[in-house]
Amino acid sequence: MLNAIIPLLLDSLASAALIFFAAVGLTLVFSVLRVLNVAHGSLYSIGGYVAASICLFIASRQLNPYLSFAALLFSAVFVAAIFGPLIERGLVRWTYGKSEAVQILITFGLFLILEDLQRVIFGVQSFYEDAPMRLLGTTSIGGVVYLNYQILLIGMALLVVIGLRLLINHTRLGRLITAVVTDREMAQSIGIDTNRIFILAFSLGVFLAALGGALATPTSGIAPGLGADTMVLAFAVAAIGGLGQIEGAAVASLIVGLARVLAIYLAPSLDAVAPYAAMLAVLLFRPYGLFGSVTARRI
Amino acid sequence: MAFKGISIVVARCLSSLELLFGLHRGLSQANLRLVADGLAGALAIGVAAATPAAAQEKPGSLGLGIFTFTSGPAAAYGMPGKNAADLIIEEINAKGGIEGVPVRATYVDEAQGAQGVIAEYRRLAADAQNQVMVAALSSANCLALAPLAEQLEVPTVGWNCDTHQLLIDGKRKYVFRPNGNTVPEFIAYAIYLLDRKPDVKTVAIINPDYAFGHDAAKIFTAALKALKPDVEIVAELYPKLGSPNYQTEISRLATARPDVVFSNLWGADLENFVRQAAPRGIFTSSQVILALGETVLQRVPLPDGVIVGVLGDGWWMSPDAKANPETAKFAERYKARFGEYPVFPSIKMANTLIYVKAAYKAAMQKNGGKWPTRAELADAMKGSKVATLTGTAQTRADNDGLVDQIIGVTVKTPAQQFPVIGDMVRYRGDSLMPQAGQDPLAWISTLKPEFAKSLPKPGSYK
Repeated sequence: MLNAIIPLLLDSLASAALIFFAAVGLTLVFSVLRVLNVAHGSLYSIGGYVAASICLFIASRQLNPYLSFAALLFSAVFVAAIFGPLIERGLVRWTYGKSEAVQILITFGLFLILEDLQRVIFGVQSFYEDAPMRLLGTTSIGGVVYLNYQILLIGMALLVVIGLRLLINHTRLGRLITAVVTDREMAQSIGIDTNRIFILAFSLGVFLAALGGALATPTSGIAPGLGADTMVLAFAVAAIGGLGQIEGAAVASLIVGLARVLAIYLAPSLDAVAPYAAMLAVLLFRPYGLFGSVTARRI
Repeated sequence: MAFKGISIVVARCLSSLELLFGLHRGLSQANLRLVADGLAGALAIGVAAATPAAAQEKPGSLGLGIFTFTSGPAAAYGMPGKNAADLIIEEINAKGGIEGVPVRATYVDEAQGAQGVIAEYRRLAADAQNQVMVAALSSANCLALAPLAEQLEVPTVGWNCDTHQLLIDGKRKYVFRPNGNTVPEFIAYAIYLLDRKPDVKTVAIINPDYAFGHDAAKIFTAALKALKPDVEIVAELYPKLGSPNYQTEISRLATARPDVVFSNLWGADLENFVRQAAPRGIFTSSQVILALGETVLQRVPLPDGVIVGVLGDGWWMSPDAKANPETAKFAERYKARFGEYPVFPSIKMANTLIYVKAAYKAAMQKNGGKWPTRAELADAMKGSKVATLTGTAQTRADNDGLVDQIIGVTVKTPAQQFPVIGDMVRYRGDSLMPQAGQDPLAWISTLKPEFAKSLPKPGSYK
């Protein structure tokens, strides 16, 4: 029995880590900007494509393979630096104060553009670069061989949760973000440059999305369509945790990861529906998600 | 029946005209749709009326609608098919076309989904110049298009679709498959496995979650159970088509500790699975069967001893293929153009176009050298036997194909930088097919170990 439980728990954590990276940026952007960014999944896959391209370049030039770890991080920073300010200033800011429908339509349009852009630049074939995974080797746990990279991902997800909490609670930027989230108009009236906060918060969201894609690349393939799948899963996680709740996203990722893994182990035919069944179950009892709360709409 | 159909269309046209004359009253949405339907009906009548007369004259060009995946994860399988079509059509046109008529292909991306594929098929079929549809790659799309092909009377050649359900009722007049289907393809794996590993006790299956994956699992399991009843299926996993990550499935397979892991994953899914499963020891702890493994030999470092095949006879390095100078030339041209040797979807597409070309030749021989109608072309396909790049494609009375099955294991060779197929067997196409009209699963359940013993053994195809 123990032989089955250990792999099940480890797989749940590994799966949850990947899901968390896909969802946390979405929830962060919503908490600050109150915008549901439908293009989030595309930014995730762009992060993956850029990371894979840089890793392939490193391999083709026979550079030190450990550079590929730096490449994963660099690709996320690169994508955030390019797309964050560009999208926020160019598109998203026009939706502030508009209805959710307008926001969703505009970011959905962006999603379609970014998906086609990926096809044009990276083609339609699957991308795969596993150098970081190979470098770290494997470990046998409970009779099952795991990639050390999977265990690293679990640690990275924990680091991101702690890092975001520290950023928001213990830094000046975090306090400014909190002030904007709490009362945007009041924050503006006391001299906080909300535009700057919006650009930074949106770029941080893009960074987290791209980091998720980059970190997933060594163990997953990147192909057209990944953005849409990621988006749907990220929405489910955000809905379970409560939109805008970072800890909520972490707990929701664990729930979704566990639901998926349990399905694969015990009822494989339910694999695809398990995350959404978990979402339905949570929303039936907590319509605003586990960590969400009712907010009054200001008129 | 035909009269009734024409009457309905005429009635629709008349009702449309009536509605058009009443335009001053304004049209409701429903009536507007009726008008559009009616006009489409009138157009169809016009096309149908014009077609037979035009069909006797050689057209300026012969249009082919070619359906494959050119985007999405399935493009890893679909693009080699398109590449092969480009090459073969170029070659045909360089030699003056089919019976003197140059070929012009219109490609349709199957990644758009069944609704889009159906709409594209209708659009192409409405143009009389498009005489043949090479459709499709996906079994689901083949099943969706088959009734349409019959309704519009357009010869439709399934270049890849494997599902045995496509022609099971034996009533199709315009739908053909110059390939094997899931029945011979997956019985072959069961027989090869038991020849190579007769002591197998436990099997785990990981197939894509749609008809092809489920059908293959059903047929492979049924054949195993019939030939070795004590075999136990210890895990059956059906990940979503296009899934990029199989780590949890791999853990599940590892915990099941099966003697054999069977998979008919394909395209990018297969590449992803192999890349993720290899470092986690699946290929060393179990005998792995990758039914479509040949498609990734040049892209993924597969270890030795993996059972792979080509779902037919389309292995460009098989003894028969090597002996055919046309095949060697095609493989080299393909490599020069696309940077890789053709994989079996490329060969399937090439063989299908050769099949279409042969059908034109046969139809024109039959009707005294006149350009054939769609019906005459379909007639020429029925019961045909065509020499392909890798063997023979025979069409039965039920329009299903008889094609040999080649299976082997991965081996290294100094001649290539990638593993090739060794220890091969070539099963005759007809030996693994039930009779037309027979229920395939019922037929498989009647198979006995003696049947497997009567077939050629691994390593016999040299």
